[in-house]
Amino acid sequence: MSKYKGRNIMAVFPAMDVLIDGIKQLQAAGHENFLVYSPLPHHEVERALKRPKSPVRVFTLVGALTGFCTGWGLTIYSVTSYPLIVGGKPLISMPPFGVLAYILTILFGALATMLGFLINARLPQLRLAAEYDERISNDHYGIQIFTEDTALLTKFEKVMVKAGAIDIKKKK
Amino acid sequence: MSFNLSYSKTDRDLTQTLNKPKKWWYVAVTLLGLGVAWGAGSWLHQILTGIGVAGKNNPVGWYLYITTFVFWVGIAHSGTLISAILFLFRVKWRSAVYRSAEAVTVFGLATAGLFPLLHMGRVWVFYWTLPYPQMGGLFPNFRSPLVWDVFAITTYLTVSTIFFITGMVPDVAIVRDKAKGWRKKLYGFLAQGWQGTDNQWRHYTQAYVFLAALATPLVVSVHSIVSWDFAMSIVPGWHSTIFAPYFVAGAIHSGLAMVILILMPMRNAFRLKEYITDHHLESLAKFLLFTASMVGFAYIIEVFIAWYSHNPWEQAIFSYRAFGDFKWAFWALFICNLAFPQLFWFKRFRRSTFTLALVSVAVTIGMFFERFVIIATSLAHEYIPFMWGLPDLTFTEMGIVVGSFSWFFFLFMIFAKTLPVVSMWEVKEQQEPPKANT
Repeated sequence: MSKYKGRNIMAVFPAMDVLIDGIKQLQAAGHENFLVYSPLPHHEVERALKRPKSPVRVFTLVGALTGFCTGWGLTIYSVTSYPLIVGGKPLISMPPFGVLAYILTILFGALATMLGFLINARLPQLRLAAEYDERISNDHYGIQIFTEDTALLTKFEKVMVKAGAIDIKKKK
Repeated sequence: MSFNLSYSKTDRDLTQTLNKPKKWWYVAVTLLGLGVAWGAGSWLHQILTGIGVAGKNNPVGWYLYITTFVFWVGIAHSGTLISAILFLFRVKWRSAVYRSAEAVTVFGLATAGLFPLLHMGRVWVFYWTLPYPQMGGLFPNFRSPLVWDVFAITTYLTVSTIFFITGMVPDVAIVRDKAKGWRKKLYGFLAQGWQGTDNQWRHYTQAYVFLAALATPLVVSVHSIVSWDFAMSIVPGWHSTIFAPYFVAGAIHSGLAMVILILMPMRNAFRLKEYITDHHLESLAKFLLFTASMVGFAYIIEVFIAWYSHNPWEQAIFSYRAFGDFKWAFWALFICNLAFPQLFWFKRFRRSTFTLALVSVAVTIGMFFERFVIIATSLAHEYIPFMWGLPDLTFTEMGIVVGSFSWFFFLFMIFAKTLPVVSMWEVKEQQEPPKANT
């Protein structure tokens, strides 16, 4: 269950430096339940947020290892299930089977990476968040703050405006 | 290389490529469509009449189809080189050109993938190449390089398509946010609900690095495997240990030429000179000069080893290549692939549109000849003089080859008008972010 649900406000910022101010002020207030929107990834934002490393790498590793085992497994199974000497070569011929294991390592690794990205990034989504601001993909930034405490939301609204937000959207 | 532009201007300039097409676009697409129709008609004729209508025969069983197959797989390689390898090395100038290069990869493979099918006598049983237990539970022979090829090409197409689509998601979201009406719905669907949250970017950037890391070994392996289709045999001129690096170098050489050839008219037609600058083309030209040196080295080593080996068949085939029936193609490939790129030692030639176009066309033709010479001459002049023979060039085969070129450029033209040809978010990454307190 995502923690980014329920009552929230979206503060839209015109620039990155004021966005970082907004993030720092929220963190200073001890609030961590918020999302940051940006037109591209910035190291400054990453450093300010201190989020954990993405688990996509685990998907990649598991996918690649599965591919590696599938490559060896498929080729060895194929020759042992129907033993037939071809061209005087050993039944289990390591170099050619290694080629297939190598290719399937990459194929399964890439498919698992894509899957890991989609699962973790919660994609595909049929609908955008109602508070999503179309200026964000261009040159604006946003902080979406979640809390069921209306008094706290009102307080954060003021904090965001003070930090430099030019627009506040609310979801009740 | 950094861009002195603003985020807004970048989005405006790079989404205007999707505006309503002009007349020249419709004319080009129609002509290419006719070329595709010629190719499709020729294939239908071949299916209905039999594979004999193609010019290949015994002994030259691999001819223009396999030449064109190897050519298109080669063309595909520069895209992954530019998008994945240069990404891992953090080469900044790649950001403006990699999207088009990736499109060259995907469409090049979509074209190459047709040729093993076109080459089949009975295309309707193409699924016999797939890895499943067939008659009596017998699998395909996994020791055969042709089966490796099926795996390599389908994997390369799958991985490069994933990489291409993943790279495009944030840009499609930009187009969605600017579009109206049915276009908004279409691009909204393609953007998959991308909103640019920190969580999405965190997973995206990691996935992108891993996809690049996975695509990188494919640059080396796919054309190596294609080269082993030849090198694993004992045909003189094919049975060589240098074939893998030789083919990979040639693949990148031809791919770079095709990327330059596509970028030049595109930046003029879409007015993208601020993004695809002379510096970008010059960097590609330097790269082309480097790959020319690599293929040149391979050409010389190949001839040297034939002489040094004291192997009479190896010497005979190289003598046949240089002075036999296809000598015109042999000498043309040296001139096109080696001599022309030497112009790029000089800055003024690297900066000249005419020279860039001339050298790129020469290398594209030269690389086609290179594959032709390797494939056709070796089979035409194998061990026993009794078995020597020449292939025919037929109208059907020519139609299919012309159709493949039309198909590739047709796909590219459709892409150029429906999706962003330059990565907007990565170009913005090279710019100063908007700041309020300056």
